Amino acid sequence: GQGDKNKDDYVYFNRSTAGFSDEAVPKAKAAQLKLEHYYKLAVEAAVERNGRRVELERKLAADPNMSDERKQKQLQALGKKESTFLRLKRTKLGLDDFRTVKVIGKGAFGEVRLVQKLDTGKIYAMKSLHKNEMLKRDQLAHVRAERDVLAESNSPWVVQLFYSFQDSAYLYLVMEFLPGGDLMTMLIKYDTFSEDVTRFYMAECVLAIEAVHKLGFIHRDIKPDNILIDKDGHIKLSDFGLSTGFHKQHDSAYYQKLLDSANGVQQSAAPARNSVMVNPIHLTVSSKDQIATWKANRRKLAYSTVGTPDYIAPEIFLMQGYSNECDWWSLGAIMFECLVGYPPFCSENTHETYKKILDWRNHLIFPDDVHLSRESEEMIRGLLTSQNVRLNVEQIKNHSFFYGVEWDAIREIDAPFVPHLRSITDTSYFPDDQLDAVPDRPSGTDTSGNKDLAFLGYTFKRFNLTDKAL
Amino acid sequence: ALYSQPSTPKLFLSKPFVEASLVKGSLKTLVLLPKYLDVMEWVAMSMFDFYNNVNLFYGAVSEHCTAKDCPTMTAGDQLVYTWVDNNNKHVKLPASTYIDYVFTWIQALLEDQSIFPTRAGVPFPANFPSTCKHMYRQMLRVFAHLYQAHFEDILHLRIEPHLNSLFAHYLVFGQEFDILDQKELRGPSSTPTGIGYLYDAWRTSGKLD
Ligand SMILES: Nc1ncnc2c1ncn2[C@@H]1O[C@H](COP(=O)(O)OP(=O)(O)OP(=O)(O)O)[C@@H](O)[C@H]1O
Repeated sequence: GQGDKNKDDYVYFNRSTAGFSDEAVPKAKAAQLKLEHYYKLAVEAAVERNGRRVELERKLAADPNMSDERKQKQLQALGKKESTFLRLKRTKLGLDDFRTVKVIGKGAFGEVRLVQKLDTGKIYAMKSLHKNEMLKRDQLAHVRAERDVLAESNSPWVVQLFYSFQDSAYLYLVMEFLPGGDLMTMLIKYDTFSEDVTRFYMAECVLAIEAVHKLGFIHRDIKPDNILIDKDGHIKLSDFGLSTGFHKQHDSAYYQKLLDSANGVQQSAAPARNSVMVNPIHLTVSSKDQIATWKANRRKLAYSTVGTPDYIAPEIFLMQGYSNECDWWSLGAIMFECLVGYPPFCSENTHETYKKILDWRNHLIFPDDVHLSRESEEMIRGLLTSQNVRLNVEQIKNHSFFYGVEWDAIREIDAPFVPHLRSITDTSYFPDDQLDAVPDRPSGTDTSGNKDLAFLGYTFKRFNLTDKAL
Repeated sequence: ALYSQPSTPKLFLSKPFVEASLVKGSLKTLVLLPKYLDVMEWVAMSMFDFYNNVNLFYGAVSEHCTAKDCPTMTAGDQLVYTWVDNNNKHVKLPASTYIDYVFTWIQALLEDQSIFPTRAGVPFPANFPSTCKHMYRQMLRVFAHLYQAHFEDILHLRIEPHLNSLFAHYLVFGQEFDILDQKELRGPSSTPTGIGYLYDAWRTSGKLD
């Protein structure tokens, strides 16, 4: 019968990779992963495309005033847009498609450049991230999260990502260029802000952080360097370096495992490092010229691979679990800096800073020579406090410090400092010190192909902006 | 089985391997032209993706595809593919050389702006469909060789569910856009080639619906 026949068909095959070279097995693993990724994306793309079409069809069906002919035209226009997007997916973007105008920033794993896309003349900020450095520091989740947040959001509070691509040495993020520089540069320039100016930036930060939380992310690394200023003087958040997407399934341990299994490495029992790295960076701080010293060292610290711990909440160091309240702590530290001139726990070295943050009860000191209003001090104390009593977003918004803030319209009002820009490539709001030595193009060093596995699926092109993208 | 079998049994037609797949569900939904989309763009993107994907699999087994192991580009017990050279002569090549030619040729087409335009507003050429048909046939032969000569390698490397899904997807795509030539699946005497048997088996089991 049929059943017997089927049984006869069944074959046992002894699998073994003994006959293969060291390269074949990881190549096969890569083929597996890439194909899985390919089908996952294909399904997602189909669902999304379908959603866009159904949405438009529904909208048009509900409009009694539009002629059928115009409706048909709109549907054709959507088809055209979708088709253009398919074309964009075949377009291989590379470094050669961009011209560097200027190096404008430096981060832990590479630089940020002002670039122009050659075919369209559009201006972007391009961040390069050195793959090897990132692998060494177990920063894979880092990039992935950064890309995911940027890519997924259309939020006015988050720097938009247009493209990402990679070569053997670097990952590249091509983002919108924010010509106003960052809050760190602004604080270096002005020492302190008035309470009104502080209120403006803090209010915008509250909405921005809230937006990130609503996307399902904890930023974890809110600091003045990551608060960028757009052409109208409003803020946007960048650098989701440390952000953990708690709705994301993959973390660096996951990628490290992929990589190890592809390289035939046995799983070690050691847990992935989650702690913030410590590097000795010495700040000399005497009480009188704290501001000056702080400023002198501030940018160096920003360029270092450790980054500054000044704004990190104590519960993160304790590693006993934390949630999105940690971002409100960071906001408190930034607010302190805006009004006082230096962050609350800054000290001789990062180790001292950690200690002070952990023992914040004894180290949160408001200096006598700086006058703060009662509301400001209360607000800061409501943020720089234990996790369980820290103000939540509603309490923050309703706090008397923010009295009079129109939360729904703040992005529309005039910002206190509006950058005066002479052209779309004006970089006068970016420091040129210490960036001169940086080459115009990232210098490619060769890395072995296996490592790319960790950066699988990194390539991204934004859909809804095809007109800008082409 | 409900379908005919080649005279020598093939692993890729045997259970459980013939049924192994990565993608569950109807491949057709992935292949059908989405409403309002330009068919040329759709086919172009699909060809682009298939090329990149089939490359991954050949890359994984290529160290066993030497002139010694695979002196000819076979795709069935009797069928040998020949390459048409610059002088229009049919030549027999080692499989690795043949496949290298195929990949080089396809890569060049994909990068040719007059055939696979990527810039905005540039149209596809009039002969785009026939070029795709051509490409499709050559890539089909690469699949055929993978199944015919390297399926054991594929099993050792545990990538048969992946290869099966990719190939089934490829067949469904070829059917849908009418670039799959049945002749390519049949040998000289109209008996199926290796992948022809696979095609029949999958058709029977509904995998290609
Ligand atoms: N989209 C942008 N537009 C304008 N300037 C930018 C943009 N992105 C980054 N910059 C500038 O580059 C600097 C470094 O960028 P960023 O903080 O993202 O680097 P990073 O590698 O993430 O550093 P870290 O992880 O240490 O914070 C910023 O402080 C800012 O001055």
